[in-house]
Amino acid sequence: MTRTTAGTTADTTAGAAGVRAAPAAVRVRDLTVAFPTAQGERAAVSHVSLDLAAGRITGLVGESGSGKSTLALSLLNAVPKPGQVTSGTVQIDGIGDVLALPAPELRRVRGAEIGYVFQASQNSLNPLKQAGKQLLDLGRSHGQRDLRGLLARARELLDGMGLDPVRVLSSYQHELSGGMRQRLGIVFALVLNAHVLILDEPTTALDMLSQAAVLQIIRQVHAGRHLTSLVISHDLGVIGELADRIAVMYAGRIVEEGPTGELLADPRHPYTRGLLAATPRITGDLELARPLPGRPPDLMTIPRRGCVFRDRCPIAQPRCAQTEPPRTELSSAELSSTEPPGTELPAAEPQRPGAELRGAAPPGASGGRQVACYAVTGEGP
Amino acid sequence: MIEARGITRVFPGRGGLLRRDPVRALRGVDVTIPDRGAVSLIGESGCGKTTLGRILCGLEDFDGGELVIEGQPMTELRRRQRAPYFRRIQMIHQDPYSALNPTRTVEHILGDPLALRARQLGADGGWIRRRRSELLELVGLDPGLVLPRYPHMLSGGMRQRVVIARALTVDPAVLVADEAVSMIDVSLRLGILQLLRDLRDRLGVSLLFITHDVATARYTGPDSELYVIYRGSIVEHGPTATLIQAPVHPYTQCLLSAIPVLRGIEQPGSQRVAPTGPPDEQTAPPGCLFEPRCPFAAPDCRSHAPPLSHLGGTGQQHACLYPERRAVVAVPAAN
Repeated sequence: MTRTTAGTTADTTAGAAGVRAAPAAVRVRDLTVAFPTAQGERAAVSHVSLDLAAGRITGLVGESGSGKSTLALSLLNAVPKPGQVTSGTVQIDGIGDVLALPAPELRRVRGAEIGYVFQASQNSLNPLKQAGKQLLDLGRSHGQRDLRGLLARARELLDGMGLDPVRVLSSYQHELSGGMRQRLGIVFALVLNAHVLILDEPTTALDMLSQAAVLQIIRQVHAGRHLTSLVISHDLGVIGELADRIAVMYAGRIVEEGPTGELLADPRHPYTRGLLAATPRITGDLELARPLPGRPPDLMTIPRRGCVFRDRCPIAQPRCAQTEPPRTELSSAELSSTEPPGTELPAAEPQRPGAELRGAAPPGASGGRQVACYAVTGEGP
Repeated sequence: MIEARGITRVFPGRGGLLRRDPVRALRGVDVTIPDRGAVSLIGESGCGKTTLGRILCGLEDFDGGELVIEGQPMTELRRRQRAPYFRRIQMIHQDPYSALNPTRTVEHILGDPLALRARQLGADGGWIRRRRSELLELVGLDPGLVLPRYPHMLSGGMRQRVVIARALTVDPAVLVADEAVSMIDVSLRLGILQLLRDLRDRLGVSLLFITHDVATARYTGPDSELYVIYRGSIVEHGPTATLIQAPVHPYTQCLLSAIPVLRGIEQPGSQRVAPTGPPDEQTAPPGCLFEPRCPFAAPDCRSHAPPLSHLGGTGQQHACLYPERRAVVAVPAAN
């Protein structure tokens, strides 16, 4: 699995070592993660299926409590207790089902195969240890014999991110800026040659210029090292700029999924439309912006029957209270109709995305647009 | 009205083992917050925008310059005499999760400052109860639902509304909102922004809006003004819409270029730029402080930095030797 190849992209971050021949795909199927509560077990992630196309950046967007971090942690089989995976599989090419791996193999896979940049990783360094020493700890805990090689790879990665490797590795956490710590988090995630990279809120708490620099680095590292990446954010802007495909998560479900340009130009699920209309933007008509009514649900307030969004939904119908709408692939005919039936939402005017956007759709992805809404798909009880 | 004239602030350094150089947080800043107006301060973290906000609230001292509140220069007053002026300026903090006492219900959180206010006005308990409900309704909360609750029982957006209601208990003339929406869920952010704008219209309060997210500054009102701060100096100032569409200072242009582009509905500005260097703390006058990171720096930028001056006959001010309009901000995607 550690076969190397010369990077085809002449990129500074594409080191000679650790660049894979072919990126791996990740397939999540029917994943449910439940937490015990005073009112019994509640699902933070409910029957989620999601493909991370090989070599692509998938964006997972959702608000706090939508279950996006829980979903991402289950890709490492690291759901925090008392949470429990109650159904589903996470298949990664070359590894198998992560949820079924024995503990020693799981330890190896975390880090060596899947890199994870944690939320607030700016603050997750040990404040009493120099960064370089923590890097060596990481290597030792993964049984790396060649620690010199490890340091060399870290230096190369840091160098590619425009940082001074010697300075950064000899620094303590407080001596580094937020943007530098975030980059260091990415180095830690990739230094063991992981080929699947998960970034949880990679730019939260960074200001605009550091954010732009970190986004640029993610793009560069992703391409240069042939990664399969998952970027999680509450910020549609970050996802819209980085991701090839977007999955919109609400109350533990993926309610809409599709290629970035198409999904943003022509959102179909009422939540996606509401979220887009509620996002402060630098362009566009201020008068069209409106907040989403209600508030995002938490574990206790997620409706147990029917569509989870119906309380905040402007187009809810009686059938929405009965059963939960499944995620359904939209046909090209449905996609070319300008407005889904019964919707009068002030979303961006429907625009047909250009050919170059269609071309950008990942070849290995499950294809088109999927929406979980009866009003849009016209199905239901 | 608040007028800051040439405000400077230096955080002293210290010697010895934990040696630290003095930090010049503000280097002579002029900002005017008009009555009923909205002013936004934008800049990177560490640029001095929060320090300026705290000085305007009286939470922080300044070393030089003058702060004039409703016609009264603050340096002429003793500390105790300043208090009634600063009471008219209320701060809304970034973090609604730590700004409220977790052991007290909303009833008490609002009742305590209102009781003080009632004593000043000679009002009775009935006034406190009426005012409490009035303020909650004003910020869009249902008093019956919210009053008996503790902060942890409310969402971030509701908490921030309680924080705003509490700031309103003293009938302020100015609200200072420091990153007031950055910790709120995205779907609820716009609601808070609209509330702040609504309070301007209905109560006539002015708003000082401090943020690193330029997009949110657009939502403070059509008449709002923007000040761009870099390392303690104003580098550009003007009407918010003008500065976003036609910035002339390279630093403003870098900030606007850094805003993520929503592919499919937006496309990047044709002249998008990025700073050429990492954040820098060393460069000192007489040259332009942004020169080491400026993509358009010329040799004389190293020796000379112009003061803030008007761009030929417009309301836009800048501090650049070579001001030039550039199309950096994202535009709606072509069909």
